[in-house]
Amino acid sequence: MTATAQAPAPVREAIVANGVARSFGSVRAVQDATLTVPAGSVTALIGPNGCGKTTLMLMLSGLLRPDTGTITVAGHNPSTDAAAVRAAIGWMPDQLGSWDNLTCLQTLTLMGEAYRIPRATARERGLDLLERVHLIEFANRPARVLSRGQKQRLSLARALVHDPQVLLLDEPANGLDPRSRIELRTLVREFAAEGRAVLVSSHVLAELDEMVDDAIFMSQGRTLGDDAAAMVADAKTRYLVHALDPAALQAALTGADVPFEAAGEGVIMRFVDEQRAAEALTWLVQQGVRIHRFGPAGSALEQTYMAMNEERR
Amino acid sequence: MTTPTTTHTPPPPEASASAPTAVTPPPQSGNPWRPTFHGVSLMTRIELRRRRPTTKGYVFYGILFGLVIAICVAAAVFAPAQLSSTNFEIVLIMVLGVGMLIAPSLSATSINGDSSEGVLAPLQMSHLTAGDIAVGKLLASWTVSVIALVAVSPFLIYTFVSSGWTVLEMLTTVGAILLVVMAFTAVGLAWSSIAARAVASVALAHLTTGFFLIGTLIVFGVAGLLVTEESSQRDHYIDWNALSPEAESALDNAYMTGDYTNLNIDDYSCLESEWAYTVTHTERVSWIVLMNPAVMIIETAPIVDPETWEEDGRAAPGAFAMLHSALSEARMGPDNDINQYQAYDECAELATMIDNNVASDEDLEAQWEAQNSAWEQRQQELANLERAPWIGLGVSGALLVGSMWIVIRRLRVPYKTLRTGTRVA
Repeated sequence: MTATAQAPAPVREAIVANGVARSFGSVRAVQDATLTVPAGSVTALIGPNGCGKTTLMLMLSGLLRPDTGTITVAGHNPSTDAAAVRAAIGWMPDQLGSWDNLTCLQTLTLMGEAYRIPRATARERGLDLLERVHLIEFANRPARVLSRGQKQRLSLARALVHDPQVLLLDEPANGLDPRSRIELRTLVREFAAEGRAVLVSSHVLAELDEMVDDAIFMSQGRTLGDDAAAMVADAKTRYLVHALDPAALQAALTGADVPFEAAGEGVIMRFVDEQRAAEALTWLVQQGVRIHRFGPAGSALEQTYMAMNEERR
Repeated sequence: MTTPTTTHTPPPPEASASAPTAVTPPPQSGNPWRPTFHGVSLMTRIELRRRRPTTKGYVFYGILFGLVIAICVAAAVFAPAQLSSTNFEIVLIMVLGVGMLIAPSLSATSINGDSSEGVLAPLQMSHLTAGDIAVGKLLASWTVSVIALVAVSPFLIYTFVSSGWTVLEMLTTVGAILLVVMAFTAVGLAWSSIAARAVASVALAHLTTGFFLIGTLIVFGVAGLLVTEESSQRDHYIDWNALSPEAESALDNAYMTGDYTNLNIDDYSCLESEWAYTVTHTERVSWIVLMNPAVMIIETAPIVDPETWEEDGRAAPGAFAMLHSALSEARMGPDNDINQYQAYDECAELATMIDNNVASDEDLEAQWEAQNSAWEQRQQELANLERAPWIGLGVSGALLVGSMWIVIRRLRVPYKTLRTGTRVA
């Protein structure tokens, strides 16, 4: 705690959790969660339904007290300095809640005032945020007329009213249309560029692939540390190659003694980096194999998620 | 244990690039829970705005208000022009009853309802403290109940004019009603912070109200049995079945003429009848009934002297005055001791009359007079017994403070425990 007093600059490690556990009665929702989210980066929290993601996020946000383990958010400890932790966090809950009778702008203004921002400033900020999440035309409409995806965006704007250093987004892509998803992706990258630490939980793994710098997998209340990271790294080396004549492709590879696995019509090859991939493609073309598709073998996160199958009932 | 907050980082300049309005919320530290003026007024504002009635609601209130005024006008036209406090008292009780029905209904879904709607946790995440949220919700629900009561205010004012109460007395009683309404608003909030589902908390809030309004009366009645003393008494009667026909006709004759001198006491055998004589010491359990909020309201009403009300410029003793006397009777307890009972002895009476000691009319009159004035004195004493709203006020105060304590404790985050069967948010 004293260390942070000397360091007014943005804290490097925005979220640090170590061995965090929490039970509800006999249900052990989170058994052992360890994670680090650096400032200025986006980290995904991935896991099947009911693996403890939301419970972990609640503990990080300072709403729920962990049974054991330590948490530090923006240099504060939620068990001794919960108000400072809450003040540093913008939290977008998985449950959509809005004040139905109030307009979007009123909602954001009142929320800003709840953070002790002067009303006029809070209103200005509210307008900016509505602009940012593309709800400006709903500024003076009551929140009850919003669709699910629009409510989701209002909820995101609400998490930003106090300009938090840390953002916890619980299933932000739920119910968003494709266009909004892409916009969300851009927004989240912007948040990280602004120096915020972002922790995102989602099921839409393909979405996360292009959004996150790092991923934390959770299963049965535990974070899977290095194993999962290794699996992601491994998945990123896999390329799927399709040729017009699959037999010719396989023959060329077998002839040159290149390891590969057949995958349907195409083959899966591994390259340690992009450089090697480019060289391999050139070589294949030179061999006269007519390649029509050459790219990463699906989402790395999705492959890891599917590989990590232990949770299936 | 917390270090002074030097940890707040100034907003990085690039933050304004995408959202031009830079905001600098003040730093927070520790985990404050006390209500603050800013927080409570903001929370009240949020709640009132959320509950603002729709156009239909305004129309409904308008029609209600119009009806009340129409009834008042009709009453003013047809009612006799003499002072009468009972109408006013009925309105007061009505106001209390409506308030105690509305207030817990409004507040009893306020916390668990918000929680299941997902709008509570975002507020808990903000700089609002648990105290801000709790007191803000209390004031908002209470204000809505009070506004609903304003609809009956024309009744109240109209009946007050002919009630013989002073303005100060009226304000005292209305103030007590508003306190009771606030206390039961707090009870509703407390239940909504404890129970997971709105149905349960509304039912529990109304049960609590019912317990204090009706339950206290039942408990008082049952407790009365525990403080009832019993002693067996023996009365003596002439045994008519054993009389000889001569003796019987002689006695009948004596009753008719009032001349007992010819009777012989030995002709009349005596019967003994034994029965249980009971005295209930209500003064030992009257505190139970004084806890009742309606009783408390009655006890804040001015005392009306049954002798001098006219000179005092008051209306004749009305409903509250009668109830005050009844309550005073319970508080003072029985005026006769268990051992004071004088057994009735018809045989002994007959013997004295045979000795020609028949009471004269004057004597009877004087005896009756004495009894009557004792009764009147007792009534006077009961009517003028000092008012006792203190226990009821104490109960309301304790409910208010206790409930708010529960609510604030339940709203503090980080949660240690959750309402069973709920999620945060």
